[in-house]
Amino acid sequence: MAAAKTVKKKKWSLSQRRAMKGFIFIAPWLIGFLWFYARSLFMTVQFSFSELTVRPGGGYDLRFVWLDNFIYAFRAHASYKQVLTTSLGNMLVDVPLITFFSLFMAMLLNRKFKGRTLVRAIFFLPVILNSDAVVDAMNLARSMMSGGISSASAEMAAAASSGMSIEYYIQMFSSLGLPEVIIEYVSGAVGRISEIINASGVQIIIFIAALQSIPGSMYEVAKIEGATAYETFWKVTFPMVMPHIITNVVYTVVDSFTKSEVIELAYDTAFTVQNYGLSSVFSLVSTVITCLILVLVCGIIQKRTFYYN
Amino acid sequence: MAKKDTIKTKRRFFRRKEKQLNRSMAGNTLLFVLMFICGLFMVLPLVMIVNNALKPLDELYQFPPKIFVRHPTLENFSDLFVLMNDSWIPFSRYILNTVIITGFGMVGHVVVASLAAYPLAKHRFPAKNILFSMVVLSMMFSWTVTQIPQYLIISWMGINNNYLALILPAWSFGMGLYLMKQFMEQLPDSLMESARLDGASEWGIFWRIVMPNVKPAWLTLAIFQFQQMWGNTGSMFLRDEQLKPLQFSLQQITAGGVARAGAAAAVTFIIAAVPITFFLICQSNVLETMTTSGMKD
Repeated sequence: MAAAKTVKKKKWSLSQRRAMKGFIFIAPWLIGFLWFYARSLFMTVQFSFSELTVRPGGGYDLRFVWLDNFIYAFRAHASYKQVLTTSLGNMLVDVPLITFFSLFMAMLLNRKFKGRTLVRAIFFLPVILNSDAVVDAMNLARSMMSGGISSASAEMAAAASSGMSIEYYIQMFSSLGLPEVIIEYVSGAVGRISEIINASGVQIIIFIAALQSIPGSMYEVAKIEGATAYETFWKVTFPMVMPHIITNVVYTVVDSFTKSEVIELAYDTAFTVQNYGLSSVFSLVSTVITCLILVLVCGIIQKRTFYYN
Repeated sequence: MAKKDTIKTKRRFFRRKEKQLNRSMAGNTLLFVLMFICGLFMVLPLVMIVNNALKPLDELYQFPPKIFVRHPTLENFSDLFVLMNDSWIPFSRYILNTVIITGFGMVGHVVVASLAAYPLAKHRFPAKNILFSMVVLSMMFSWTVTQIPQYLIISWMGINNNYLALILPAWSFGMGLYLMKQFMEQLPDSLMESARLDGASEWGIFWRIVMPNVKPAWLTLAIFQFQQMWGNTGSMFLRDEQLKPLQFSLQQITAGGVARAGAAAAVTFIIAAVPITFFLICQSNVLETMTTSGMKD
């Protein structure tokens, strides 16, 4: 038996054995992935082609309806097409802005200065404050503050319900005693920026980690060769963080899409309207579109990417 | 004369670069102002949370709202503890649940994702690209939408109403694997080769060469995952009250409405404080590593 085993082992080439080891390393993740996610993905695809009715005792029935759900989504649904296009448009604007903003911020935060830990923590705050529970609690706090007196205008209530809005910031700053003209100017200019900042916490962290992994000797060489800061950035820093620009683009696209109105619509369709088939169609279509965008963008970036080694 | 001048400027140029890669005073001020403004927007919600937690009730309801508290009290926290003691599940039980779910979910995810990322980044084997595109595809999918199939799967497995229902799916998120793979790809191959020549097993290479070298990456992942697990209310899978995490009980309080406004403000503070503390601990570690890559070429 033992002999047979060794014989069998000897038949394997080195690369095969390495591949085997690789698979063993991947196995725990792969099993979990196939079990939990691949299946739910498959089921979502299945749902999108069928009409789902929940059985009263539990469980569900599927009736295959071919493309009916898709046709309904694009031909008959009141808001789907519009929501999809605005979400896509927002994403295309946000992704490059967020990517470059976070690279810029990461470079600033990677420099040595006093209180760096604190500043980094501040820039990571939005990620923490964006979690559902905190958002819920904040909304409550805000509605308390703005709606506590019944005469408080409906405007304020509307502002309170729509996340961390600009009006709210204005209220805050004016309570600090800044003149209104300045506040309005800044808030107008910052209108978009605040969203971008709030969405770039993780990206900044990823870039900081990327910047940390650039060998210091490279900068040393650049310095010895007399490169200016500008040249150092484009010839050393930028190529070295290039792979992580892809990482961040992917992350940003995913992040902005999973938070977009399309997904909200899909969620509502599933849990409020209880049309699971249609909801699956919504998420499936948006997933396919995001994938296409990613393939396109990554293809373009990958060509220019330099891999150290 | 002209020659002298160029030499002079050259010298000045070098001297300045020594101090700080030739960045001017004005540039520095501009950057500072920019960072200050951005930072202000980020820190404002937190300032509000902290101040709200310290506000007495009448100030909480003041209109127009003020950021800063006038008469700080700890009343809200004592209110919260009274509330907590009234509930029929001890408060410590909620904390324990959260620690179990967050701890196992986070550590498991980091380990499993790193294990899988290593061969994907550094080995050659068939179906590697298919595997990787599967990972990316899975990230595209919004999990809010696949909640129904997920629930069905968890039910079939019979781990519904169990910590495992939250922990096990967390281990196989695609995001962590993707992140780790991107960072491991950057490690020089020669590092692993030399370890192999010295007789290290794959397992040894992974734990003793790869993982220490990508410490910033997995710490980032840990921070990220901690935040996600911490915010998990588990309301979909956990039915027994004594299995529910802290987040759930806190959400109950914040849903309590006007009468519990003070306690809710205190709760918000607690919810936000823990992930921030965890981040601070981890990120100071990120700073210390990766400055030397262990390579001499």
